[in-house]
Amino acid sequence: MQISKKISVNNIVVWIVLAVMLLFTLTPIIFMISASMMERNQIMRMPFSWIPESFNSENFIKAVAGNDQTFIFVRNLSNSLFVSITVAITTVLIASLTGYGLAKFRFRGRNTIFIMIMATMMIPFEAIMIPLYMVVMMLRIQNTYTGLILPFLVSAFGVFQMRQYLTTFPTEFLDAARVDGMGEFGIYWRIVLPNCMPVIATLSILSFRSQWDNLLWPLLVSQSEKMKTIPQYISSFALERNTDEGAMMAAALLASIPMFVLFMSLTKYFIGGSAVYESRKG
Amino acid sequence: MGMKKYRGIEKKQARWGFLFVVPSLLFFSLFSFYPIINAFYTSFFDKRALSKAPPAFLGLGNYIRLFDPNRAASELSFLNSLRATLVFTVGTFVPLLIISLLLAVFISNLGSRKAKKFLQIAYYTPAILSSVVAATIWMIIFDPRGLGNQWVNALMNTPGVDHRWLVDPVMEQVSTMVIYFWKYIGYFVILFITGLASIPPTIYEAATIDGAGKGQVFWRITLPLLKPTVVLVSVMAMLQCLKTFSTQYMLYTNGAPRAPINVITFNIYITGIQQQYLGRASAMSVVLFILMLMLTLLQFKTTKSEQVEY
Repeated sequence: MQISKKISVNNIVVWIVLAVMLLFTLTPIIFMISASMMERNQIMRMPFSWIPESFNSENFIKAVAGNDQTFIFVRNLSNSLFVSITVAITTVLIASLTGYGLAKFRFRGRNTIFIMIMATMMIPFEAIMIPLYMVVMMLRIQNTYTGLILPFLVSAFGVFQMRQYLTTFPTEFLDAARVDGMGEFGIYWRIVLPNCMPVIATLSILSFRSQWDNLLWPLLVSQSEKMKTIPQYISSFALERNTDEGAMMAAALLASIPMFVLFMSLTKYFIGGSAVYESRKG
Repeated sequence: MGMKKYRGIEKKQARWGFLFVVPSLLFFSLFSFYPIINAFYTSFFDKRALSKAPPAFLGLGNYIRLFDPNRAASELSFLNSLRATLVFTVGTFVPLLIISLLLAVFISNLGSRKAKKFLQIAYYTPAILSSVVAATIWMIIFDPRGLGNQWVNALMNTPGVDHRWLVDPVMEQVSTMVIYFWKYIGYFVILFITGLASIPPTIYEAATIDGAGKGQVFWRITLPLLKPTVVLVSVMAMLQCLKTFSTQYMLYTNGAPRAPINVITFNIYITGIQQQYLGRASAMSVVLFILMLMLTLLQFKTTKSEQVEY
């Protein structure tokens, strides 16, 4: 014990490296927070002072109202919330249903179907977005929620996780419910689903954030201001010439609050093992 | 009698199982298999969005155009995109891999549990911001009067120098790498910490008793045992880098020059969506798909042959 507590040169190097990295990862976030409260001339002052001179609420008003006072921010934020939550729900429902079917039932072609679904993980979204865009144009669902959500209803990774989890689910519970006369769908809904909570949490976080972060697909689908999502809002807000840096940081901070809240309240699902594997549609 | 009834139940069960799988089957057929087949098909045609006439068959024409060396000099050429993607991928994933492994080893060896947890969370925090937000923050940091110049000038003792982060072709590529590195470093640190945790501590104890030094333990024991994780993480990092889009999009739309950061996905977007050359963009998509497929298959092959038994 005494030996390991000895402060050696090595230890000092380790702590310096870790501290430098800590500065590198956290300062841009602290910068965003403090710049969001600053006036423009304070942000661009050299050297930068980290403490805002006063709380400049105008930045947040500008971020929400937009440079043209249309408050489209509110609509775009709601769009992102709606799409992300819907995708999280459909992913959990469809993936658990499929995972349950693949894990606990024997039928012809079961393995083939599983391998086929796994194979789709090798098809990156970026490689199929042009054909998907043509489908959207053909179905005339551009500028609709259907168009935004449809390609992300379920993910192969979700099916995989659910199947792995349910393979170890005790079959006796299911058989007991069958003897009691419970229907197959009832068993799924009332016994299987409530018992997969850890996977459900991981999977819904994963699906939610992949849509919250999605810029590419909304760029293809939503051209009208009303149907844009929050990443699109921030990118066009940053583009407008008269937008000052403080308002940009205020918009960025506001757009990050839902993820911050999720992260703070469910840290273990972010940091814990399987949650870190990103889904294919990132 | 009993046998017959049993077979009946089994049949019914099979029907339910299939029924549960049907929604996914439909989804993946329509939104994964059909589009990728369609991408291959469309890549052989001169398809443009606005023309009503059936598209002309080009054979390999689109591909020949993509790889035409005479076009390589053009800033919008696909060969340039391949170069940009390769530079970005190598320039991002190599530092990501080495530094995240180093940090993971450091963190795993810390005595204090609280410090371990705190560092993991702190390093991971940038990953929860969306790519657009990350790019926006860094664009202000990379402003000529911003923190980027102030930091670098303080470190290198070069007061007042503008490093032209978003203007100079080389610096612009470095900037995209820094943003990406910043966003994903914590994520890969955690992957490695998970991998390191799966190595039984008894192995280290045995090695230390045998008199191995810290460096020796790392090179002779940790690294070989960690090889499956290293392979997995590097392929994941490479795949992630090949798909990069938002960072480049943000920088370009804010006035940074296009050619140095015109990565494949960005080129597909501009060619297919803005210029509406759907056939040509499909050919690019197919090349991207094949690139990523080869990487994934390589990973499967390596992880299969490199199974480590403790």
